[in-house]
Amino acid sequence: MSSPAENAPGCPFGHGAEAPAGHHGYEPFQMKDPFPAYAEMRAEQPLMFDERINYYVATRYDDIKAVFDDWETFSSENAQAPVRERGEAAKKIMLDGGFTAYSGLSARVPPEHTRMRAIVQKAFTPRRYKALEPAIRENVVTRLETMLARPGRDGDMVRDLAYDIPTITILTLIGADTSKIDTYKRWSDSRAAMTWGNLSDEEQVPHAHNLVEYWQECLHLVGAAKESGGDNLTADLVQAQAEGAAISDHEIASVLYSLLFAGHETTTTLISNCVRVLLAHPAQWGQVVADPKKIPAAIDEILRYSGSIVGWRRKALRDTTVGGVDIPQGAGLLLLMGSANRDEARFEDGEAFDISRPNAREHLSFGFGIHYCLGNMLAKLQAKIALEEIVRLAPTLQLVAPESITFRENLSFRVPETVPVTWES
Amino acid sequence: MPTVHFTDTAGTVRDIEGNVGDSVMETAVRNGVPGIVAECGGSLSCATCHVFVRDDDFAALPPMEDMEDEMLYGTAVDREDNSRLSCQLRLHEGQELHVTTPETQV
Repeated sequence: MSSPAENAPGCPFGHGAEAPAGHHGYEPFQMKDPFPAYAEMRAEQPLMFDERINYYVATRYDDIKAVFDDWETFSSENAQAPVRERGEAAKKIMLDGGFTAYSGLSARVPPEHTRMRAIVQKAFTPRRYKALEPAIRENVVTRLETMLARPGRDGDMVRDLAYDIPTITILTLIGADTSKIDTYKRWSDSRAAMTWGNLSDEEQVPHAHNLVEYWQECLHLVGAAKESGGDNLTADLVQAQAEGAAISDHEIASVLYSLLFAGHETTTTLISNCVRVLLAHPAQWGQVVADPKKIPAAIDEILRYSGSIVGWRRKALRDTTVGGVDIPQGAGLLLLMGSANRDEARFEDGEAFDISRPNAREHLSFGFGIHYCLGNMLAKLQAKIALEEIVRLAPTLQLVAPESITFRENLSFRVPETVPVTWES
Repeated sequence: MPTVHFTDTAGTVRDIEGNVGDSVMETAVRNGVPGIVAECGGSLSCATCHVFVRDDDFAALPPMEDMEDEMLYGTAVDREDNSRLSCQLRLHEGQELHVTTPETQV
């Protein structure tokens, strides 16, 4: 990477895009509290070139929504690209292990994306997952009762609830082994770290092994569905293929590789955040306890205020401008939805958490347009069930030492690692 | 020019002129018609642009595809026989379309 000075006077980054030394306080992989830096970028430099990651960082709502909407100019092909190039050792492990996955849908582009999404969408419908609602509720209740029976009255809403619930759901939908929650979580953590993490070559090695195992399991699931069918999404995709739908075995396995990650990782975070953010605002927690009908609106506000994914990537396919800044063909953009969601130009008093906010659902946490999160309704359904049962069974829940909650280092995923709680006996 | 007549649950009618080829959802969003949320922007993923179509207009619409039919099972207000997702309704020249928006989309 050449320095700006070497390239003067023609600014290589587009007029006004060079980051100042302090980058407005933005640290790409730090997730504890990125919001003051977001606010400063929105105010001072809403399109900033960050030379540490080689991306143009966008922070304003209108700019980000417009980029999502214009898929012909801004391709999603880089959405699953490793932020840090894979080291030689990891590359060899993956090559030797037959790892050929890249993306299920999010980093595919039309017409391929259009073709595959239409097929997958039909297998991932509200009817299919609404049928799971009683089972999801039972899973939630069982885990909450186990936690609440603990005499020490100490819980962790991540470990005790949010970790399992969406994972069981997606494994059930896909027809994978529901006793392998820990395995899938390990693979998913590796996927998040390998793609959006800031790992050294050496640190990548164990994750590379995990991704090989993960991909082999996806291939195996497709093979098993071909052999013995089943009443699940994998079997539906295999069946669709047999009936002439244009989707290959490798593509079906790639879709599984996507859903077995995206289908729980971000929902674990959403359920964790539902508890963490509401309990941090006791008056609003009290409103939800008193009137559980407020839960859907509260979930929209949690998605706005504290989305599971705060940044997502696009690539400019031609010379263009965003927010008045020139973007050269081939450049990568990092769209900080976590910032867009607090943009005062769209959300009045955007830094405030308010479950009665009328337009919370205009948040961009699920993206916008052709790649809009396929699982958005399933994610919200599970968060709703979880909160309904939590306010019913544990209305006296309180956070313990919330300042001690740590967030995993990552470019895109903002993941609280624990949500410690206690309650009145 | 096609015209969409939107009636909300309170009975207020908004007559909006649209462009040929645009969807009813796009026409609503562009003109700030309340009652159409359209979270996903038209990718058949959110079921928040649900409308009830007046019976005599309904019959004239092109039939719905499987995916729209599936997504209508995910609407906030339960579907009825005259339900459609407005992102799937493309306007044509001279069309007069009467739709009612549900009490809520979320």
